[in-house]
Amino acid sequence: MRVLLAVFVPAMVLAAEPKLEFNRDVRPILSDKCYHCHGPDAKTKGIPLRLDVEAEARAAIAAGKLVARITTDKKGQQMPPPYSGLTLTAREKETLAAWVGQGAEWQPHWSFVPPKAPAGPASIDHFVAARLSKEGLAMRPPASRETQARRVTLDLTGLPPTPQELDAFLRDTSPKAYEKLVDRLLASPRYGERMAARWLDAARYADTNGYQYDGERVMWRWRDYVIDSFNRNKPFDRFVLEQLAGDMLPNATFEQRLATGFNRNHRGNTEDGIVPEEYAVEYVVDRVETTGAVFLGLTLGCARCHNHKYDPLTQKEFYQIFSYFNNVPELGRAMKYGNSPPLMPAPTAEQQAALAALDARIAGQERWLAARAPAIEAARRSWEQTMPAVHWAPASMRDGEYFTQGAPERFDGSRVEVDAKSGKFDIDDRWSVSAWVDGQGSVLTRISGNRPEGKGYGLHVREGKVFFHITSNWVNDALRVETVKPLEPGRAHHVAVTYTGSRMAEGVQVYVDGQPAATTTIMDTLYRPFRNAGGVYKEPVRVGGGAGKEQQFRGTLGQVRLYARVLTGEEVAMLAVGQPLSALAGRKRTPPEQRQVELYYLETAAAPEVRAAWRTLAGLREQREKLERTFPTVMVMAEAPQRKPTHLLLRGQYDKPGEVVEPGLPAFLPRRAAADRLGFAQWVVDPANPLLARVTVNRFWQSLFGTGIVKTTEDFGLQGEWPTHPELLDYLATEFIRGGWDTKAMVKRMVMSSAYRQSSQATPELLQRDPDNRLLSRGPRLRMPAEMIRDAALHAAGLLHEKLGGPSVKPYQPEGLWKEVIMQDFEYDQAKGPDLYRRSLYTFWKRTSAPPMMMNFDASQREACTVRENRTNTPLQALNLMNDVTFVEAARFIGQRMLLEGGAEADSRLRHGFRMALGRLPKPAELAVLRGSLNYHLDYFAGKPAEAKALLWQGESRSAQLPERDLAAYQAVASLLLNTDEFVTKE
Amino acid sequence: MQRRQFLAALTTLLAENGYAEGPVVHHAPKAKRVITLFQHGGPSQLDLFDYKPNLAKVRGQDLPDSIRRGQRLTGMTAYQATFPTAPSLFQFAQHGQSGAWFSELLPHMAKHADRWTILKSLSTEQINHDPAVTFFQTGFQLAGRPSIGSWVSYGLGSENKDLPAFVVMISQGRGNAQALADRMWGSGFIPTSHQGVKFRGGKDPVLYLSDPEGYDRTARRRFLDDLGQLNRLKLDEYQDPEIATRIAQYEMAFRMQASVPELADLSKEPESTFALYGPESRKPGSYAANCILARRLAERGVRFIQLFHRGWDQHGSLPKQIRWQCEDTDQPSAALLTDLQQRGLLEDTLVLWGGEFGRTVYSQGTLTATDYGRDHHPRCFTMLAAGGGFKPGVSYGETDDYSYNIARDPMDVHDLHATMLHCLGVDHTKLTFKFQGRHYRLTDVHGRVIRPLLA
Repeated sequence: MRVLLAVFVPAMVLAAEPKLEFNRDVRPILSDKCYHCHGPDAKTKGIPLRLDVEAEARAAIAAGKLVARITTDKKGQQMPPPYSGLTLTAREKETLAAWVGQGAEWQPHWSFVPPKAPAGPASIDHFVAARLSKEGLAMRPPASRETQARRVTLDLTGLPPTPQELDAFLRDTSPKAYEKLVDRLLASPRYGERMAARWLDAARYADTNGYQYDGERVMWRWRDYVIDSFNRNKPFDRFVLEQLAGDMLPNATFEQRLATGFNRNHRGNTEDGIVPEEYAVEYVVDRVETTGAVFLGLTLGCARCHNHKYDPLTQKEFYQIFSYFNNVPELGRAMKYGNSPPLMPAPTAEQQAALAALDARIAGQERWLAARAPAIEAARRSWEQTMPAVHWAPASMRDGEYFTQGAPERFDGSRVEVDAKSGKFDIDDRWSVSAWVDGQGSVLTRISGNRPEGKGYGLHVREGKVFFHITSNWVNDALRVETVKPLEPGRAHHVAVTYTGSRMAEGVQVYVDGQPAATTTIMDTLYRPFRNAGGVYKEPVRVGGGAGKEQQFRGTLGQVRLYARVLTGEEVAMLAVGQPLSALAGRKRTPPEQRQVELYYLETAAAPEVRAAWRTLAGLREQREKLERTFPTVMVMAEAPQRKPTHLLLRGQYDKPGEVVEPGLPAFLPRRAAADRLGFAQWVVDPANPLLARVTVNRFWQSLFGTGIVKTTEDFGLQGEWPTHPELLDYLATEFIRGGWDTKAMVKRMVMSSAYRQSSQATPELLQRDPDNRLLSRGPRLRMPAEMIRDAALHAAGLLHEKLGGPSVKPYQPEGLWKEVIMQDFEYDQAKGPDLYRRSLYTFWKRTSAPPMMMNFDASQREACTVRENRTNTPLQALNLMNDVTFVEAARFIGQRMLLEGGAEADSRLRHGFRMALGRLPKPAELAVLRGSLNYHLDYFAGKPAEAKALLWQGESRSAQLPERDLAAYQAVASLLLNTDEFVTKE
Repeated sequence: MQRRQFLAALTTLLAENGYAEGPVVHHAPKAKRVITLFQHGGPSQLDLFDYKPNLAKVRGQDLPDSIRRGQRLTGMTAYQATFPTAPSLFQFAQHGQSGAWFSELLPHMAKHADRWTILKSLSTEQINHDPAVTFFQTGFQLAGRPSIGSWVSYGLGSENKDLPAFVVMISQGRGNAQALADRMWGSGFIPTSHQGVKFRGGKDPVLYLSDPEGYDRTARRRFLDDLGQLNRLKLDEYQDPEIATRIAQYEMAFRMQASVPELADLSKEPESTFALYGPESRKPGSYAANCILARRLAERGVRFIQLFHRGWDQHGSLPKQIRWQCEDTDQPSAALLTDLQQRGLLEDTLVLWGGEFGRTVYSQGTLTATDYGRDHHPRCFTMLAAGGGFKPGVSYGETDDYSYNIARDPMDVHDLHATMLHCLGVDHTKLTFKFQGRHYRLTDVHGRVIRPLLA
């Protein structure tokens, strides 16, 4: 085996060029074999010599030590020492010695210095051809026009071309035909979907929280932001800036805040037994690692526990970067169900439009009333004397679920009112509670077990203070606040609490006598709903008790109310007026008193047209609130008002804080002022940053050519691989910056190149000399990514339901996959109808049980950031394409299209099917195979009507009325096409 | 296919699927394969193996600070006012020549007292299920690293060209179950071809294995012949070794369609097998049925076979729930050992029994005459090993009087990994995969081969 492999060791480096280059030839050896000890972390190990520092290395070389120690046979002298498990090959030793012999020329690490724009002529093809000619090779001729069209259509839209699109392209014989095609594809909304697919891998996007319970979260609005940004060709630097710190930009827009969901896509732990502080650290580490890999191509996480072993990044610098991302007002324990704060409502475009329309109508009503305000007021003044002696609340506030209106009633410590109908709120609902209170004890509760620590919520007067809590578990899963000041004793107070469903104390507002009251947060760690684990929480509401006998209310309670919404401050103030209307006549009134009078007039006594206008306005406002409640949310970044201190963590452990560190940038890269996360983001996108542009164009390159110019897309550090075409990489990076970070232009430049458009046919010689096609001696020929394979099949079948964005969907999945591994209430509810056939980037992604077809075809699991593309070739993939109902059904519809659209002759039908699946016409030999297969299956099903029927009934969509034997046979041929190597391959 | 093409294809197969240059055997292996019987949730060492007769005297008393030493507790009991010592309700007895202690809950496993190596001094770094299982399976508590089975697949490859090298089977217990995750048998950053393939009870033991209804094996054969022709035409034209690989993989898929159902079909097993493994073994998907499958997989040379049995998380009602769990697992686990032994397979098959951590000596919740619960306990737990180069009839390590801290011969999960790999002929420091600039290994920078465990 080893002998065989030796043939394929890239023999391109040493033999061709006697002059050694430090970055290309020498540093990789030093880094891989020496720096683990003699690198940036040497001092902490007590090792005096650093071979990553030029001066120290030179001294060692000058003393003759380097060559001596690597060539000696003496066990005690030998480097690397035998116990390290590292050995230098003979070739590596020769290289090091030769380099010393040539004068040991040193270079700074190539990716840490700015890319250089080329001096002479430059283009992708120029650099690729130059590299090939050094090897005595040349590019292949262009691929056939069909192949080019399929290749570029797959690459730019993620879908294959239809026969009609192919025809249109082939008919256009102008020299600009290909470019026109490219422009059309770049303008298609499918482009954004295709580009987003890889970005979601990098951003570890998923629809669940990960870790143990792995409950659902809602981040698809962020996913749609990504698609939209690519489609609108947002300058890439802005795209990056927004995602890292959009919330901190001056006058941040809705979209800029939405963008920061990027760094909330990490997993969140909800397990009962965890220490939340531990995971609070993990989330920040994840942000740093992801940011490092995606934008800088650096393995920053390696410096979490100690100085980086290879790159010049100290542990302290790691925590300085950490501190930029450590200022989010968040908890280490994530919400078990739904999004964890901080979050924002994220209406879709349609919802935003509906909201704007409502706002316009509201404004119209308001204008109408405002225009008549003097007349209304004059009429009201003369009417006011006739106001009745009643306590009154406006219509909008008579909708309380629990609602008493009469005079305060006595509660003597034994009386408890029970109501089973109202107040069935959970921790993520919006609600308000209010009452006139004079006394001590439980005002209103919905608590289990009649004990103070029971599950549920409660409003109490405790030691004179207003006390409110929401409790899933008294010990560690609860929210508790109380007012700073006690209520003044001896008189009734109006007390109200509003709760936004935020599951955090910041969502609770306590009012006393109509005024917001200052509160102390006693506990703020709520994370499980009352309906936890699929349970039903049945407890009734109790007035005057419910939290144990001791706490039953003593005193008077009046106007006890529960609302299934958040009352405004003004509304609470009106509830707190506490006077009959007649008492408000003819005297100076407080603003809430005044408002109450105005509203009473508008509702009951104004002129009919005024009353109607007011009713309309109130109705519209109610609609608006209802609409707002349907908005999805998205988790976003935010800054805590007070900066959290960041400590260096010894050995990276959350409970071993070391010195306090301030935000700061690593010393080995060009620096600028960066006091906070926004400053950090501005540093990342600064054209002086040598990494962002290189790393980004390299990933684009990878998605088109299969492998990056730097193969290690995630690591541009010292252990990363030397670029195959360094000048090309620098050229593309500098052009990217010069062109204003224009992503579409960069992608277009790549797909317009001859290197991209050449034929992917190899020859035995090319396989020997450029086995992995790193030199681009032929066009890219790659197995398609998982989502592209499924989408292509659905598209060819005509089943694909194209709809941009929206909530994630649950297509076909073998039964029971979730059930085997989950705990509690989280079932896979397979979609019905069109949602079975959406593009795969909309498939619901559960991290602990990811979609099996995606995993079979090497999709990233989305547990953590993945930027390298992987391709394997396995029998499970074969089984998947042959037998997964997705592909069985798609084959049936391709078969149907062959029958319905392919003419009357078998051959023309087969040609049509071939072209739908593979984007070209079959060669005679291929057609002969298809014909044989068709005839076989016609015979096969001739005697098997039941089998034909069974085959045709798989999948949810029904076929046209066609002879079952024919359809089954054509389905079999279509399945054959979907299983060819060519179908899953971008030729 | 021309020879050169074939060799190129083979090389691609190896390179693309990321094998570590073919089998990497550093020394003569004792074990050719591994079966782990993973008891998911954390079985109580105190009620099964780690006999502490003196606890009866301190029953109900608070766990002394001298034992607890302020160590970390889970969020579930950290707020408990008291930590009452809860001796096991179950009777223990010594078995075999070795005199190993087993509780009455495991009468069948106890009969193998002289075959097991009992590891009493294991500890783990993780105190909660998800990180602890992830740690046990991958050597690291957070997602992203390859699992043991995928390391072994990557390092040693498969002995059976018709079956995957790493197979996973899950069964449901009757006690409190915690969630599992694909990552626990995932391949992390090494190629996905090494991830564990889940075998499931029911019609499709492997996902998508069965041909669609209405399509039989003759038709599938013809289908593959035609497919092979189309792919070969392409190969001739493009010379891409990937195409040759794909042809080979379709053929393997076809063979799997025969070999897997044949493997999963227990109908030809004699009555004596079901008698041995117990009545549950007739139920597809049960732990007992999975144990029979484990033996069948071992016979066929599958390299790494992992069972997960859920339901060992007994925070409350432990006496009741652990009885259920033992009823479901004791006889089949013992039967597997007997069966392997009888077939001469135990010698080169390493069998491992245990969970992700142990349980606390103090009661979670109220201690009564007949009831108690136990919280997670990472500081010590017991595992059992047999065959494959482990020394039989030996107990290794000791815990203190409370089964709370390790008193003698500590070993951790990395050490267990290192020792397992050693039995497979692999030096754990040399089986590496380069990712993000680092040469990663299963044992990270830790792990010792525990020599006294080796036969």
